[in-house]
Amino acid sequence: MGASAPPPQANPPVRGSRRPAPAGPLGFVWSSVVMGWRWLTRMRTALYLLGALALMSVIGTLVPQEPNVPSTVLEWREGESGPGVLVSQLLDAFGAFDVYGSPLFNALLLLLYLSLTACLIPRIRAWIRLVRRSQPPLIRHLGRQDASADLVTDATPDQVHATATQLLRRRRWRVRTGPIDPSATAGDAASAATPAHARKPDQVAAEKGLVSREGGSLLFHLSFYVLLGAIVFGQLMTFEGQRGVVEGEPGFRDTAVSYWSYAPGRWFGEGDHAGWRLDLDEFHVDWVRDPMAAGAGQPTEFRSEVTITPEEGEPYEATIDSNRPIDVEGMQVTQLDWGYAPRVVVEVDGEVVHDGFITPQVEDGGAYRGAVKAPAADPDVGLEIFLYPFAPDDDETGRPIPTGAPWDDAPMLLFRQWRGDLQLGATQQTLNELDTSALESEGGAYLRLGQRIEVGDVTIAFPELRRWAGLQVSSRPAIPALLGGAVLLVVGLVASLYAYRRRLWVLARHDEETGRTVVTVAGRAFQRPEAFEVEHAELFEELSTAVEHDHRPGEGTPPGRQPGPPDPTDTPHPNTPDDHEVVRP
Amino acid sequence: MSQDQLVELSRLLYSPTTLLLYLGAAFFYLYALTTTVGRREERRRGRRAQLVGGVLAVIGIGTHVAHEIVRGLAQDRLPLGNMFEVTSLMALVGVVTGLVYLQFVRRRPELNGFVLLGGSLVLALALLMYADPGPLMPILDTWWRPFHVSLLVAAMGIFAAAFVFNALYLLRDTAERSVAAATTARSGGSTVGAAYIGDLEQRPDGPGDPTPHGERPDDDEVEREHARAYRDELRKGIPVLRLAVGTFLGTSLVSWVFWYSEASTAAGVSRFLSVNLVMVATALLARWFVPFLPATATLDGLAHRTIAFAFVLWTVGTIAGAMWAEISWGRFWGWDPKETGAFLTWIAYAGYLHARATRGVRGRRAAWIGIAAFVVLMGTYLIANYVVVGLHSYAEL
Ligand code: HEM
Repeated sequence: MGASAPPPQANPPVRGSRRPAPAGPLGFVWSSVVMGWRWLTRMRTALYLLGALALMSVIGTLVPQEPNVPSTVLEWREGESGPGVLVSQLLDAFGAFDVYGSPLFNALLLLLYLSLTACLIPRIRAWIRLVRRSQPPLIRHLGRQDASADLVTDATPDQVHATATQLLRRRRWRVRTGPIDPSATAGDAASAATPAHARKPDQVAAEKGLVSREGGSLLFHLSFYVLLGAIVFGQLMTFEGQRGVVEGEPGFRDTAVSYWSYAPGRWFGEGDHAGWRLDLDEFHVDWVRDPMAAGAGQPTEFRSEVTITPEEGEPYEATIDSNRPIDVEGMQVTQLDWGYAPRVVVEVDGEVVHDGFITPQVEDGGAYRGAVKAPAADPDVGLEIFLYPFAPDDDETGRPIPTGAPWDDAPMLLFRQWRGDLQLGATQQTLNELDTSALESEGGAYLRLGQRIEVGDVTIAFPELRRWAGLQVSSRPAIPALLGGAVLLVVGLVASLYAYRRRLWVLARHDEETGRTVVTVAGRAFQRPEAFEVEHAELFEELSTAVEHDHRPGEGTPPGRQPGPPDPTDTPHPNTPDDHEVVRP
Repeated sequence: MSQDQLVELSRLLYSPTTLLLYLGAAFFYLYALTTTVGRREERRRGRRAQLVGGVLAVIGIGTHVAHEIVRGLAQDRLPLGNMFEVTSLMALVGVVTGLVYLQFVRRRPELNGFVLLGGSLVLALALLMYADPGPLMPILDTWWRPFHVSLLVAAMGIFAAAFVFNALYLLRDTAERSVAAATTARSGGSTVGAAYIGDLEQRPDGPGDPTPHGERPDDDEVEREHARAYRDELRKGIPVLRLAVGTFLGTSLVSWVFWYSEASTAAGVSRFLSVNLVMVATALLARWFVPFLPATATLDGLAHRTIAFAFVLWTVGTIAGAMWAEISWGRFWGWDPKETGAFLTWIAYAGYLHARATRGVRGRRAAWIGIAAFVVLMGTYLIANYVVVGLHSYAEL
């Protein structure tokens, strides 16, 4: 990303390695290292690396990612969906199911940072040298500048130079005054080390923008180290756990074992949990129910009323809203998900083998899908559940018609019963899924709220319907560092795009013929010439006013503008390519 | 007024009203552009046309703003919630910044016509995604939304303006190069060639500052003849077939999404073809205007400055998105399709700026990188909304 070749004048040539390469096998290693480093310092290399990273993130979008959607990845691997088993194996071989965790991605990232470093080190050195030493050269001919304007006054040249120096200093220009030294006309700042004379200046030379332009760019690039550091630190220190809670039921405590899914960073220990407890008092949700209204069926509200009980201290109530997570002892609790929570009671031969709320999740089509697992029965009972919150009875047949609408005005619980071995603990299964490979289907039925039904020796009841909220608890200590990095990035970016380096000369000469003083204000910009043109005109105006003000002549004409540069406000912009490095002696 | 009437009014304000006003303004500005090389009375007519174009553009911006306000009233929220609204605002921002920038900062009002034309295209594109006003999902109902979305949308609009400048640059540059090549080939002996060269030198900045014509009518006539021949030569420098096919294929890089996302093949193909053909027609129209364009360096500079500005907005908007995501979804970055799209677009434009800043790549290569970056922008925008929909899926209502 870095510029390996900053603006021509901005950069004294970077010295090559002065160390002679050792001979023999070591020499080979050494020269390979040098070659590798040279390759890394090339701008083009960084662009290729970036391109490769971009390509990988495209793959990451098109191919399902295991950390995000493990079930889809499983389907791809088993050929149930996606391009087929063979392609999936190939994708697996390249780590395409976890692009951002793959060694290739990390290797590219590492190379990119190496390349960034290789680019930046010489640039920073050159920039420091430049900031310390650069001086605007004193030149003989002002005529060749991009912007130039003349002014006639009765003030003496020295007075004009003093005023100009003051004005430019006030505007934070780097100012140098001195006689026109024939040896300094070459324009090389470093060699123009004319000793500071006590002599009267014949010229004012000034420069501005050389710290901020290159500096902004360097800041922009350096911010990537801050961001990278914060991300790495974040991954080690972060913690994220998800958990569903049913209204009115006992909630959960912040401990390592109470989350449904749990992803601590390597340095986040069990002792880092705060141990507070959270209970869901009520979950509010509403929709646009009028089918003719705009946005019909859209949700309008999600809100969890919770009670937090700290390990020490009084319990208190809090509200978690969309966009309004709460902070509990340094951990953020975010509301991510919700669903209906039917209470399902299962009895086998009159004995209760399951009585509790399940937490089905919504699927396409509006059904909430979940599972009841009752290993206490013999053989195990498993229920596949589909809850339709709004399934009113059909007027003619009297049978419920699922509508897909999400409000629970006419809930219906549809189930299919399975007997056999649930294989709990033996196979991977989620809370809301049955592994039916060792189960036998026993048929199904539907229940209205409050009903119970017997299927063989099993009785199933649906006495209550509540809601559950899916909450995420996270701790991300790296966020302030990330924000800091982002601020540096933006500040650096704006400076590098908007600051521009420019030079200005003010030369006042006594005109023998008229006996007055002719002042030339000329300059040029290394970048953004169009912005400089405006600035030049402003400076010129200001200088004329200042000269007039400081040395108000008793008689004679006021300073007037002679045919100078085109006034940028009424002429189309000249043909200069924008933002070019003007390299002129 | 009832809600339904407001909805109806907002739609009418959008199309046909605003659309026709922009197109009309574009027409007058483009006509004015062609008169800059004409006789004095023609130029006067051109100035009047420019004035009419300006008035139409201002009224069009007025009706566009009115549309946004009425739509906001109709649904009782800021119109920034779905793809139609985002694309419509992208057009508005593009037109307003483009016109203000050209008119007052760069003082190149003669280019306004192209910005208005581009704005009309984006406006028409939004119609393909039209959705009736509706309430917001609660997750979007926060001040983060205007912050995040309007920055990105503004950036998109300005990137679109930069795309116009880059495309015009490439057209003008191609034409100039082929004329220069032809002139060299014809060799210095030919008087015709010499006349062309003279013309080229006389107007380095295109018709922006027409040189006063000679006193004698004969001279005038001869010179105008030369100028006309030179204009034809410039146009001929851009092969029609290549331009049409290239535009068709280039647009297809993005417009296949319309085909893909449509349920029936017939509807998909017709959308795909209409987008492509409109772009081809616009390219051919732009080709005709090539002789009246300002110098390539001006166009190059315009593209660069607009991209630099939009890039800052894009950066801040993406950071704002990450902050919002941390609050709303509990994670600041998850490689969701839109996040990936934002990242890719950022990389693409960063590539453009870097290529220019460090290697001194400008001109054709820079313009092509800028155009490729815009393809990435539009491609990821449409793909993330229509093809691989992630968490951000409120887009497609
Ligand atoms: C890392 C975080 C995020 C990134 C990088 C991101 C990126 C983007 C981009 C590039 C756009 C404009 C292009 C487009 O519409 O496709 C956009 C639009 C939008 N974003 Fe985000 N965003 C982020 C987080 C969020 C969050 C947290 C929300 C809301 C909960 C959100 C809501 C929206 C909305 C409503 C739009 C405009 C409507 C539309 O989709 O067209 N974004 N985002």
